[in-house]
Amino acid sequence: MNTNDQQHPVSDTASPETGDAPEKRKNGSGWIILLFFVIGFIGSLLGGWLVFPELLYSEKQQPIDFDHELHMAQVYEGCQSCHYFRKDGSFSGIPDLYSCSGCHQYPMGTNPEEEKFIEQYVRPNKEVPWLVYSKQPDCVFFSHAAHVKGADMECRTCHGNMAQSNHSRPYQENRLTGYSRDIWGYNIARLGKPKYGLRMKMNDCADCHERETGHKGACFQCHQ
Amino acid sequence: MKEEQGDKHTKRYGMVIDLDKCTGCGACMVACYAENNVPFKKNETDKLDSLNWIRIFQLTNGRSYPDTEICYLPMPCQHCDGIGKHGHPPCVSVCPAIATDYDYSTGVVSQIPTRCFGCRYCMAACPYHARKFNWWDPVWPADTEKYLNPNVSARMRGVVEKCTFCFHRYQQARDKAYLEGRDEIYESEYQPACAQACPTNAITFGDLNNPDHAVYKLKNSPRAFRLLERLHTNPKVYYLSSKSWVRRAGDNYLENESRPESNRQKIHHK
Amino acid sequence: MKIDRRSFISLGVGVVAGTTLSPVPWKLMDDISIWTQNWPWTPAPKGGADSYKTSVCTLCPGGCGIQVRKIMDRAVKIDGLPEHPINQGKLCPLGLSGLQFLYGPSRVKSPMKRTGKRGEGKWQEISWDEAISAVTKKLKELREKDKPHSVAWVSGADKGTIPQLIGRFLTAYGSPNFIRPPSVHDAYELSAYLMQGQEGSVAFDIENSDHVLSFGTGMLQGWGSPVRMLNIYGEKRDSKKIVQIESRLSDTAAKADQWVPIKPGTEGALALGIAHVMIKESLYKKSFINKSAFGFEDWTDDNGTRHIGFKTLVLKDYDPEIVAEITSVPKSTIEKLARRFARANRPIAISGRGEGLLPGSLDECMAVHALNALVGNINKPGGVSVTSEPDYAKWPEVNIDKTASRGMQQPRIDGAGGSKYPNARYLLHRLPEVINDTKGESPVQALFVSEANPLYTLPDTKATKAAFDRIPFLVSFSSFMDETALYSDYILPNHIYLERYEDVPKPAGMVQPVIGLAKPVVKPVYNTRHVGDVVLQMAKSLGSFIEKAFPWKDYRAYLKTVFKDHWDQLEDKGFTEVKASEDKPWANRFNTATGKFEFYPSARKHPSKKDKDKDILPGFSPVPIEGKPDAYPLVLMPYDSIRLTSGNIGNPPFMTKTIDDTVLKDQTMFVEINPKTARKMGFFEGDRAVVTTPKGRAEVRLHLFDGIEPGVIAMPKGFGHTAYSKYLAGKGANFNSLIGPITDPMSGLNTAWGIRAKIVTA
Repeated sequence: MNTNDQQHPVSDTASPETGDAPEKRKNGSGWIILLFFVIGFIGSLLGGWLVFPELLYSEKQQPIDFDHELHMAQVYEGCQSCHYFRKDGSFSGIPDLYSCSGCHQYPMGTNPEEEKFIEQYVRPNKEVPWLVYSKQPDCVFFSHAAHVKGADMECRTCHGNMAQSNHSRPYQENRLTGYSRDIWGYNIARLGKPKYGLRMKMNDCADCHERETGHKGACFQCHQ
Repeated sequence: MKEEQGDKHTKRYGMVIDLDKCTGCGACMVACYAENNVPFKKNETDKLDSLNWIRIFQLTNGRSYPDTEICYLPMPCQHCDGIGKHGHPPCVSVCPAIATDYDYSTGVVSQIPTRCFGCRYCMAACPYHARKFNWWDPVWPADTEKYLNPNVSARMRGVVEKCTFCFHRYQQARDKAYLEGRDEIYESEYQPACAQACPTNAITFGDLNNPDHAVYKLKNSPRAFRLLERLHTNPKVYYLSSKSWVRRAGDNYLENESRPESNRQKIHHK
Repeated sequence: MKIDRRSFISLGVGVVAGTTLSPVPWKLMDDISIWTQNWPWTPAPKGGADSYKTSVCTLCPGGCGIQVRKIMDRAVKIDGLPEHPINQGKLCPLGLSGLQFLYGPSRVKSPMKRTGKRGEGKWQEISWDEAISAVTKKLKELREKDKPHSVAWVSGADKGTIPQLIGRFLTAYGSPNFIRPPSVHDAYELSAYLMQGQEGSVAFDIENSDHVLSFGTGMLQGWGSPVRMLNIYGEKRDSKKIVQIESRLSDTAAKADQWVPIKPGTEGALALGIAHVMIKESLYKKSFINKSAFGFEDWTDDNGTRHIGFKTLVLKDYDPEIVAEITSVPKSTIEKLARRFARANRPIAISGRGEGLLPGSLDECMAVHALNALVGNINKPGGVSVTSEPDYAKWPEVNIDKTASRGMQQPRIDGAGGSKYPNARYLLHRLPEVINDTKGESPVQALFVSEANPLYTLPDTKATKAAFDRIPFLVSFSSFMDETALYSDYILPNHIYLERYEDVPKPAGMVQPVIGLAKPVVKPVYNTRHVGDVVLQMAKSLGSFIEKAFPWKDYRAYLKTVFKDHWDQLEDKGFTEVKASEDKPWANRFNTATGKFEFYPSARKHPSKKDKDKDILPGFSPVPIEGKPDAYPLVLMPYDSIRLTSGNIGNPPFMTKTIDDTVLKDQTMFVEINPKTARKMGFFEGDRAVVTTPKGRAEVRLHLFDGIEPGVIAMPKGFGHTAYSKYLAGKGANFNSLIGPITDPMSGLNTAWGIRAKIVTA
């Protein structure tokens, strides 16, 4: 197709008097044209597959480096000690400052991150601007109760093995949308097993629902 | 059709509005604005561009003083089942973006504003004017942004919106049921804002398939009718009126036009 | 080897092909769509734990219980409180709009001092200390001049602890001029006082009645406690007949079982015509009349003078044929109305126009009340009763100095309780007239206004403004930039009801003595202060005995002392029932001179002092309206819509949004006109026109409405604001600017129900 495209304009412009011009091209310039094509093709493939994903995301650090494993050892009810269901069935998500300062009003250890937390957030009574890896747009309704209580799923199925992490991993933010790279997945082609937990695009939800329940579900199941 | 209508677990949420009780006070409209983050602007008198998920119409019997009668008719989205309850409301059939669909498990017709690209085919298809278009980006002046409900997404310019039967309240009720290990939600747990607010209890809401719900009986009342029934849209909003001129107006028959009595039966047999 | 143009084209094609096969376009398309679905200017309200706070709505005197849904520290929704006895979980559109008052655009955000001309809207924000000291400086100055009585305070209510605190402040300061805006309950209470000798609030047990005969009462348009009325209508519709007598097919008339159209202003005559039929056909309750009524039959007084009774008067003057002539209600209808009313088990008759902001004619109110007596439905379930005010607010006496006592002995500026209007308590509508008629210095030197907006709600806006111009010192305590606040010298903004404590007295018309407590559900959004606290601070700043009269730390501490035993329940549930100590609502006991129900109210004094029997007995004389029929061929009446507030609270944007396009189009309001009248005058639907009355003019559009009597035109009350925000100001015209007050010579109350008008093409 490409060769055709290229030859058409040429034959249009070539005058009948210089009838040997096409042959000349065949002798040498054809290779160059092909070379340039290949350079452009390979270059943009490399750029698209390798460079673009790196450019698309900026890397941010969490305000506090959080040790999940350390906390898991201190609490009795696993994940739900801090990420609990409220009485009305809604999910609390990331604890607010009030919950954290229940224990951390004063330093409990000598961890510099804890010190930083108390200094910068507890004392001035300022909420921690945690970066949420699984944050979804406002139009998404996700029921933790349906998955955790209704379908007996474990936290780690979607969120990965957070419980055993010792450090907060960097948050890769999509420069355009502002959402985490976790949503699309670290593999730009969305192939293979995801790096952390599950990918969280709408299709990922739909695929799983189709697999588990037999149908993708209606719009309002996950939208508000 | 994925689940049989009449199946114990399949719900068909619907509404019965008693026009004999409705005084046209407007509480349903305001409750809806407040619950669903419906914005307001300086001039709301052009009703074609005024965003309303439920709007009260005033009907009159057209007779002169002192034989005049008026009747108020609140009109939310009718959540049509379509012919034969196959889930083909007029709007869903024409949406090129799959921004609106029919939920087989509840019968609710959804509208996903973020998916909508504003072609407004659905508005043209809807015979009830239940759908409204956002001609402008909403503005919440002063500190009014603070009262927005986090359970309902605010819309933006260029999309269509409509009544959802406060589906977020269904979701909230389901969350609670999951937590408490229940399969079913109670009738009182899921009530839309308009039904909750209505000071004369003119609006009743529930599962039309569930004999324990109030709407089940009410919909079979001899006073019951639906709007534009001859279009076979099969709405899930029923109206009650003891006045024959109101019931007649509900089917939008012209003067001197006779009403084919068999219409309703035909639909049910299909 | 030659690199030419073609090579670069090839390179470009290669890039396009490679890019197409790379994730770039696909991923970007996805990201761009997400980006465009989440514009930063479209708010994404923050979620979080939700909670419900119970309180009471005080936007009208209805007293509904509310629960406010909060997400973290923001209030996001107001719903009715399910267990509340008044509204049972339901709410009206105004109550549902509450958060638009809290966070809305018309709030006054800090104390302000006027810097421009009055009403110009130029303000300087000041501190609370500055504001309070500016006000007390003026108050001290007037006391030093020995003129404490030239201070007047217009308070939106007179019941409840805040108005009483204000009243006490005025007493201690030395002014008798505490004034409340008028209401139909002034007429009810006066009728009950004259005919039953009972002082207190009049309750209508509509819940238990089976036949409601309403003389124009807007029962479903905001009368009494609006949600209570709507609730009764919805729940008990099948167990009662409602008859609405009104010249316009209002919402109430439309929902009634029977609508009886009547010539406006003749309701009193119809009541007496009904009485005539009942007496003539012997349909009245003889046991009650014989045992407990006085003045029904003719009687002779101690001096041997013969007096005629109600029976003679009614039989002589109000034959249905005559009444049919006056009212245009057919004779047969009058007879049917009387028979149905008399034969019902628990019939009740109610007077009053629309939502009840107009007291109306005392004679009319008494004539309707006489019907209740004829069926013996006084102080009985399903009838009318008088409940004395619960006496929870007991105060130690105030010890005042000579200046204050001299001030207190001065007559009230509005003339209420004076020699001319001995039975009236407050006559706010007379205030502008009195000020304008006084030569020299205005009798009001300082006016304080709280929870009221007289510049909007008083009839004859022009005269009111002229009177306000003569008052040298105007202070508003309004939370909102309403007309009166805009015209003030200082604004000391009150918290709104969602930010403050306040007791809510039993709503007008209710039988159950429900007391509510409004509680702060959110922290004050702006730099406002509770008016109760401000009064205490003013007293403190005035010092000496005035300060001593207010020994409380703050308003809440005072409120707690007042409610003592009830406090815990009030805090917890938001409402409680407080009965007056000796209250027996159904006790058939009358405190009149005769100890009976008096058809001939001996306490009624006629200003002419002639005391002719006909003047004392409830009779009918046409309630006059302003304007000559030849210059103004039409009659203009206001109507109340429950979707449009017409009192001191301006309509919130949500409610304005619900208004039909046959009531308001763009910024112009519609006047309703019968199609026949319109046709005769050459008008069509939607035509622009100018309405002119003897008091003013307004540009309107015409809405052809079959439900209004030919020759009468009607416009809604609640439009024509000049203050608040752009969501309300400039829409339509204010009915009060087209009408003047008409003072009832007997009671002093304002009876102006309409005015003559003409319309011409704009």
